[in-house]
Amino acid sequence: MIRLNGVSKQFDGKRKVVALDSVDLDVARGELVSIVGPSGSGKSTLLNLIGGLDRPSSGKIEIDGRDVASLSDDDLTRLRRDKIGFIFQFFNLLPSLTCVENVALPLHLKGLPRKEIESRARDLLELVQLGTRMDHLPDELSGGERQRVAIARALAFNPPILLADEPTGNLDTHTGAEILRLIHDLHDRLGATVLIVTHDSGVAQSCPRTVTLRDARIAGDARR
Amino acid sequence: MILLRLISWPYVRKHLLRSILTTAGIALGVALLVGMRTANDSVLRSFNDTVDRIAGKAQLQVSAGDAGVAEDVLERVQAAPEVSAAAPVIETSVETGLAGQGKMLVLAVDMTGDRSLRNYDFDGGDEDVIDDPLVFLAQPDSLIITREFADRNGLRTGSKVSFETMEGARQFTVRGILKAGGMAAAFGGNLGIMDIYAAQQVFGRGRRFDRIDIGLAEGVSIEAGTAALQRALGGGYEIEPPSGRGKQFESLLRIYNTAVSISSLFSLFIGMFIIYNSFAIAVTQRRAEIGILRALGATRGQIRALFLGESAVAGLIGSTAGLGAGLAFARSLTGVTGRLMENIFGVPQNAQEVSLDPRFLVGALALGVVVSMIAAYIPARSAARVEPVQALQKGRYQVLGAGENRARRWAAAACVALGLACLWAGAYRPLAFAGYSLTVAAMLLLAPFLSLELARALRGPLRRFKPIEGSLAVDSLIQAPRRTSATVAALMLSLALVIGQGGVARASYESIRGWVDTTLNPDLFITATENIASRGFRFPASMIPEVTKLPAIEETQPVRTARVQFRGKPVMLVAIDMESLGRRVRRIVVAGNIEEMNRRSAAGQAVILAENLANLEHLGLGDMVEIPTPRGGLRLPVAGVIRDYSNQLGSIFLDRKVYIREFQDDTVDLFRVYLRPGVAPEEGRRQIIEGLGSRRRMFVLLNRDVRDYVLGLTNQWLGMTRIQVIVAVLVAVLGIVNTLTVSISDRRRELGVLRAVGGLRAQIRGAVWLEAAAIGAIGLVLGLSAGAVVLYYELQVIQRDVGGMPLAYIYPLGVAATLIPIILGAALAAAIVPAEAAVRSSLVEALEYE
Repeated sequence: MIRLNGVSKQFDGKRKVVALDSVDLDVARGELVSIVGPSGSGKSTLLNLIGGLDRPSSGKIEIDGRDVASLSDDDLTRLRRDKIGFIFQFFNLLPSLTCVENVALPLHLKGLPRKEIESRARDLLELVQLGTRMDHLPDELSGGERQRVAIARALAFNPPILLADEPTGNLDTHTGAEILRLIHDLHDRLGATVLIVTHDSGVAQSCPRTVTLRDARIAGDARR
Repeated sequence: MILLRLISWPYVRKHLLRSILTTAGIALGVALLVGMRTANDSVLRSFNDTVDRIAGKAQLQVSAGDAGVAEDVLERVQAAPEVSAAAPVIETSVETGLAGQGKMLVLAVDMTGDRSLRNYDFDGGDEDVIDDPLVFLAQPDSLIITREFADRNGLRTGSKVSFETMEGARQFTVRGILKAGGMAAAFGGNLGIMDIYAAQQVFGRGRRFDRIDIGLAEGVSIEAGTAALQRALGGGYEIEPPSGRGKQFESLLRIYNTAVSISSLFSLFIGMFIIYNSFAIAVTQRRAEIGILRALGATRGQIRALFLGESAVAGLIGSTAGLGAGLAFARSLTGVTGRLMENIFGVPQNAQEVSLDPRFLVGALALGVVVSMIAAYIPARSAARVEPVQALQKGRYQVLGAGENRARRWAAAACVALGLACLWAGAYRPLAFAGYSLTVAAMLLLAPFLSLELARALRGPLRRFKPIEGSLAVDSLIQAPRRTSATVAALMLSLALVIGQGGVARASYESIRGWVDTTLNPDLFITATENIASRGFRFPASMIPEVTKLPAIEETQPVRTARVQFRGKPVMLVAIDMESLGRRVRRIVVAGNIEEMNRRSAAGQAVILAENLANLEHLGLGDMVEIPTPRGGLRLPVAGVIRDYSNQLGSIFLDRKVYIREFQDDTVDLFRVYLRPGVAPEEGRRQIIEGLGSRRRMFVLLNRDVRDYVLGLTNQWLGMTRIQVIVAVLVAVLGIVNTLTVSISDRRRELGVLRAVGGLRAQIRGAVWLEAAAIGAIGLVLGLSAGAVVLYYELQVIQRDVGGMPLAYIYPLGVAATLIPIILGAALAAAIVPAEAAVRSSLVEALEYE
């Protein structure tokens, strides 16, 4: 499902910073993988490259058989929209939109019929147990609830890949555990490929496979 | 200073585009102020320079307005013991017909006595001409030119120069060339000197001079000389130093200057909003930085000084750029302004050089800095009030608090109430201006609240149009009114100005057209110059029967228009056969009975006033009008007030017989000609040209030519004010670019999320463009509404203080309709760069953006 071959990422500033160095990685369809490593090891960079938010300096990334490097900006956007769902540490909800509007955002962007959008957004919120908060603004929700909205939004197109960057990093322990359970539950029910970047060893251990990054390289790849 | 370098400079570097746009707001305002004012000053100084240079050693000048002085006055002046030298002068301008040379100012003097007042410093052996003035006098085609003019045109002694005279085109022979400098530099060097008695003939002055230049005996002061001459000549003559002519010209320019100053200051005011906007945003964006500084021990005063220091630097840079741009603008505008003044007032102009007034330029620079600091004061105060803890917290700092909104609404209501009170008591001039200012203040106070409400109202339609892009665009405005309100206010003000100016233009045009339709009804007009306003050439009275006896002509009305000093202002005296005028022209009566005013004015028992003069001087029916005349002064009552737009400072209509008696001047500037029924205007014109054209210089204009000329001049006049309107709109567009740049910077993460979850570039662009269009639309709604109020006040100002002309209130719907696509188009254009910045920025950085 996801294949990285010799992928490097270098940031050119006053001093060049190598964020990823010749990384090879294969993730099969339906796998649940955690990515761990110390700060600055390249975890988030790896996730951004897989998610098409950024492009590698060298190497090849294939998503569902398509070479990401060959895609134009808009094609990459379509790939993200249709195949990848993002869950961010800081939720990244639009504060001016209600929960249902936030979830409907990608559906609107694709130009689906309004009725279908409305019904799908409401179903997704029900799925993440937020049926009673449909018309609330993000400001009116707890951290856990916001992350649920973000997860519902990530599932808008039932994407085969779900990328989560520190999904519990901004939540208390109890709420973090709930969100983690939800992600596992969704993985089981929807069969998506899930990659979770985390600092939390509990979160990492809950996943059947853990990739460890250190100094921009893969230092370990353990399966349970 | 250290804080400016350590804190401010990195911020400016990081937000370079915004910093440039901010200073551009002030730069434009200052440029407009400097450009327009310098152009006007240059015209005035060029005029004064010419007056000074040709005045020579003359300390006083005796004149009787445009009517001129009779020859016998010269003897009376010379007889006064206080006078050491008196020299008659005729001064007019002529077309040289030389490519690129334009006009020449002809100074006609009596060479036998003039050297006691003026230095004629000749090149080479030309001295001989003046050493024996009789040589000069004996050859009435003699002309002295300047070295500069001679060099430019390859002329030398003996060369021929041709120009139009009352006797048609005549050749003059160059008999002397003045050295460069001194008098020879007058009128940009385009100066010609000829014999005064030859000039009387060729310029149709009869036995009159334009004025007498006077040198006083040693030890006689200007005041004593003036008093002595007043005693010798009686009242009715203007006796003043040469600089008095400059003052008269200045008062002619007053209306134009006022219009220019109001619009320039308006633009600077709008520029102030750009500064305010930028600093308000900077303060909110730099709250964390302010918090850190405060936590490290910076006092409130230091924080305030930091922002005020930044604004002073921005103002200084903007003003300096504005000075440069303004002077460049003035260079291209000076000639245009001079020509416009000449066309309107008939005063010859040759202003080409831009004259700099260092005090004004320093003042403009200081004004830019002060305006910038005033604009930044409120944001600077807000910055100083930030508590460290509060500053380091994240928050919705762009939101206007409910209390703040309520306070603004209350203040606006108070301003409206006070404004209405001033309007009610508006007869007192300062109160009227206070009312105008209070109304503008109320609009500004209400702008944030109204733009918020309008943004809310736009949300529905825009969401239906584009669900995501529309919502994002409008929500951005709703959530950050602080970011948008100053731009909307600037746009509102500039559009209100456009509507005000457009309304004044439309009303002026319509009023003048109505007046032209009723008053300018002769079939033909015969003038001595192409420029109807010019009185440099005049017809002799002997031409009247020559015109009248032509078979095509049923009736003629000879007109003499002369500018005279009335209550210290140069107003126009219109001498015409009032009986004929009353019979032929259906005038728009403002006060009085038409039959009675016609009868009494025709009998020479009264005058009729133009409405603007009556308004400006607070004159009404029965009031006595005192006009200085060479016979000692004319006192006549006002028999009527009519609508008349022939002169901006106002006109006094009196019967031609009275004028001739009082001013001993029977010359004619213009013939109004009515043809016999059935005679085509072209046929009438042909007869006049064939009958009289070979003997005299004349221009026979068809009615439509004159109408086109008058309306064209009106458009030209109004066109000058449109320049300021364009700049005002430009300033507002800068505001939109500024706001969008900041909006995109503020919403980096939001736009990043949109892209991350599948927003295509076109969709992101759409959101930014819709936001710009929404700002434009809100500005349009507020501006077009505020314009209705501004127009009302501008018409009041024009009637009360500037031209005295009552103009009908007509909302310029055409202008408003034109503005809609212009502003929306400008808003969309303003969004191009910010929108591209939004779609091209790094997605990863946007999502990590704090």
